Amino acid sequence: MLTGDLVRSRLFQRNGELQIEWLDGNNPHWQRTAAELIKLFQQQVDQPQARWQRALEGYEAGRTDYMTIRGLAKVLSDGATFQPVATPIDPVELRKRLFSRGPTFVTPDPLYLQTREKVLREAAVEYNVTPGQVEHILYADRTAAYLLAAAGPAWTSASLITRYNLELARAALYWADQMQVQIFDSFKDFWKFLKLFKLMFEATVIDGGYSIQLDGPISPFVQATTRYGRQMAAFLPALLLGTRWRMWSTVKPPYFGKRLTYYLDESAALVSHFKGSGEFDSRLEADFAQEFREKFGEEREKWLLTREDEVILLGDTVMIPDFAFTHKKDGRRAILEIVGYWHPDYLERKVAKVRAANRSDLILLVYEGVNLSRERLLDTPSQVLYFKHKPVLKEVMALVEAVAV
Amino acid sequence: MTKPSLSFQGGTLVLYGIEQNETVPPFFQWIKARWRCEAYHYPALLTWLHANDIRDTVLRWQPLNLTLHDQREPHDYQLEALKAWQVADHLGSIVLPTGAGKTFVAIHAIQRVNRSTLVVAPTIDLLHQWYARLVNAFATEVGVYYGGEKIIKPITVTTYHSAGDLMATYGNQFKLIIYDEVHHLPAPSWGETALMSPAPFRLGLTATYPTQAEQQDGRWSLNHLIGPIIYEKQIDELVGKQLADYRTERLRVELTATERQQYDADYAIYTRFIKERKLYLHGPRWWLELMRLSSLDPKAREATLAHQRLGRLLSSAAEKLAALDRLLQEHRHERILIFTESNDVVYRLSQRHLIPALTCETKAAERKQLLEGFQSGDYGALVTSKVLNEGIDVPEAKVAVVLGGSAGAREYIQRLGRILRKVDNRQAVLYEIVVRDTVDVGRARRRRPRKETA
Repeated sequence: MLTGDLVRSRLFQRNGELQIEWLDGNNPHWQRTAAELIKLFQQQVDQPQARWQRALEGYEAGRTDYMTIRGLAKVLSDGATFQPVATPIDPVELRKRLFSRGPTFVTPDPLYLQTREKVLREAAVEYNVTPGQVEHILYADRTAAYLLAAAGPAWTSASLITRYNLELARAALYWADQMQVQIFDSFKDFWKFLKLFKLMFEATVIDGGYSIQLDGPISPFVQATTRYGRQMAAFLPALLLGTRWRMWSTVKPPYFGKRLTYYLDESAALVSHFKGSGEFDSRLEADFAQEFREKFGEEREKWLLTREDEVILLGDTVMIPDFAFTHKKDGRRAILEIVGYWHPDYLERKVAKVRAANRSDLILLVYEGVNLSRERLLDTPSQVLYFKHKPVLKEVMALVEAVAV
Repeated sequence: MTKPSLSFQGGTLVLYGIEQNETVPPFFQWIKARWRCEAYHYPALLTWLHANDIRDTVLRWQPLNLTLHDQREPHDYQLEALKAWQVADHLGSIVLPTGAGKTFVAIHAIQRVNRSTLVVAPTIDLLHQWYARLVNAFATEVGVYYGGEKIIKPITVTTYHSAGDLMATYGNQFKLIIYDEVHHLPAPSWGETALMSPAPFRLGLTATYPTQAEQQDGRWSLNHLIGPIIYEKQIDELVGKQLADYRTERLRVELTATERQQYDADYAIYTRFIKERKLYLHGPRWWLELMRLSSLDPKAREATLAHQRLGRLLSSAAEKLAALDRLLQEHRHERILIFTESNDVVYRLSQRHLIPALTCETKAAERKQLLEGFQSGDYGALVTSKVLNEGIDVPEAKVAVVLGGSAGAREYIQRLGRILRKVDNRQAVLYEIVVRDTVDVGRARRRRPRKETA
């Protein structure tokens, strides 16, 4: 991610709103700059990081857009792999040894015969390398000496500029104390990444989706902490996995001296680099969907099957059942969760969620081989159907008909 | 139904199995479908947890089996301070002047408590110093948690900056939390770290306790987070015994003809721009203004680049390095510390003279080894950039050399007071090498304290 100083020149305020000056991917100047930087970076493969820094300094020279250049370069560096050089002697050991002979001097002193050259030569003999190698190994473990092993993704000027813009959008959140979003799809990914970045949420249902306030554990107890800004920034690409979304945040970048609102929605030309989860989590689910399509998928059939389109809000957690059935005429709905082969801890949490959900229109399709005693689910109003090898669709549809509300 | 329980979550305490309609202690709030409160209420909750048979899963700290390997006897005032802290239920701050051995007091405090301890230091440099002192004092592994390394041990040192992250994940593993330079704690985000800790024992250390005004208007109150001042000794009560004795010598060198030419040219570019645009009208913010302009105006960019070249030229001017050569030879039999602001120059000098370098890049273990080698005499000299600025402990150094640098007056005192100690009644000496007729001289002048303490 970009550092705060690199984005400063691209952030503005207007009427209390934070504005980002996106890098225009259609501008030939930026296309050329991005292409030149990518080329320059690729020339550094197998070269030390310090050389890349010098090359960059040379490239910037007197240009006033140097901050943007450095930002683009940071994106390139972050996506690449720099590795320490393999050395025949451990640099830490070598330093211990050489420094115990110092200080040495380039020019010999009549009273002090230990010259630098002599010390290096002796060490070279001892380690069976050349004096030049000794000098080279001395600080080979500094990150400045790390070699660029792989230049990362196959960047094009367009993809670099797109990613740079995403990093700008993220960086503006570094100074956020909270974030409010509305989402209308990709619920599962949203909550998955939310958990991954250790954020907390408070969600309410809105027309067609959810409105969610994001913060961290200590936020309710302190005044506008920016402690979780970096986590929100890290999380932002998850929001972009949806096709329709909005985000409002309050941010206080140090150089504006006041809190600003920061708004984004899907109209911003931002592209997520996070991978959304595939359509199905398991074979069981995929098979179920396919069988439904074959047997009940016709237009004239009564029920419409949708995937993970409803979130059951359970305080500090959620349950997102695998499928929902919606009646095409009267809009009645039933939801379905398939409980397949799972780890006992996961099952434990699932049972707790089902109990907390307390929904009579929830159907659980439980694999008989799963280590879950029948009594555990008796006290929930939800419906439980067991299956041996694969779910019996006819039974499921009968139950849907009975419990849908 | 499972038994109700209390857990630690990201610096907060959360009650599980207790519903909204039940009665809980007043500092709990119903948030996101659970009763929650800040972790620092933990000690006050214990009786209630016990009376209501609530399972406590917060505690993760452990008893230690520490033996003190530091044989130095504490001074009377250090013993008094420790006693006062213990009498105050292990809560509160000790105020002692710089150089009076606050770290030593803390080490004894850790030994007396003998439980997992977290030390929070203001800078990475001080973190490293704590690390070395703690390893030596207890001959045990010590964790360090900051940007460069993240290792948690029953005794761990972190920075104010990283403390929040640490607390969120490991906050419940420490029974004692020590805030070094505790006057930094009232700052809004720093104070949050104390709020996020359930530690029942807290110790603050400082030479300059913040005023009441520095603890209000959105800033945290130390009384609230750590406890009151439980022991205080003024500087004049200790002077003579603990503070250093040193003299300073200024060496003025010339630029070479080529350097002078380049210097004058760059200086002209730079000052011309400053004057033309009347940047001095911006007062102390002139530098920010220059940075702003340099991304708009090629001339401003030229001026900043010229300024950057000036800095590089001065930090490695040939005669400065030659003067350093002479000092190193002159003081060959003494321990010499060399300061320069530029990391590049540090590594150049390290390679030129084959002397150890200490920078922000140096990892904790090697850093400790270098400082110990320096102390024991294995290394005759040590070159460093900013890392030894605030209170680094190198009692053996009797000669210090400052190349360039633009530090403030306070830092200057601290460097000298802490680093140069009178050993065997011999005065320590600080050399300052500046380049005649350049901005260097002005910088050095600014750096001198208003009133010398020695």
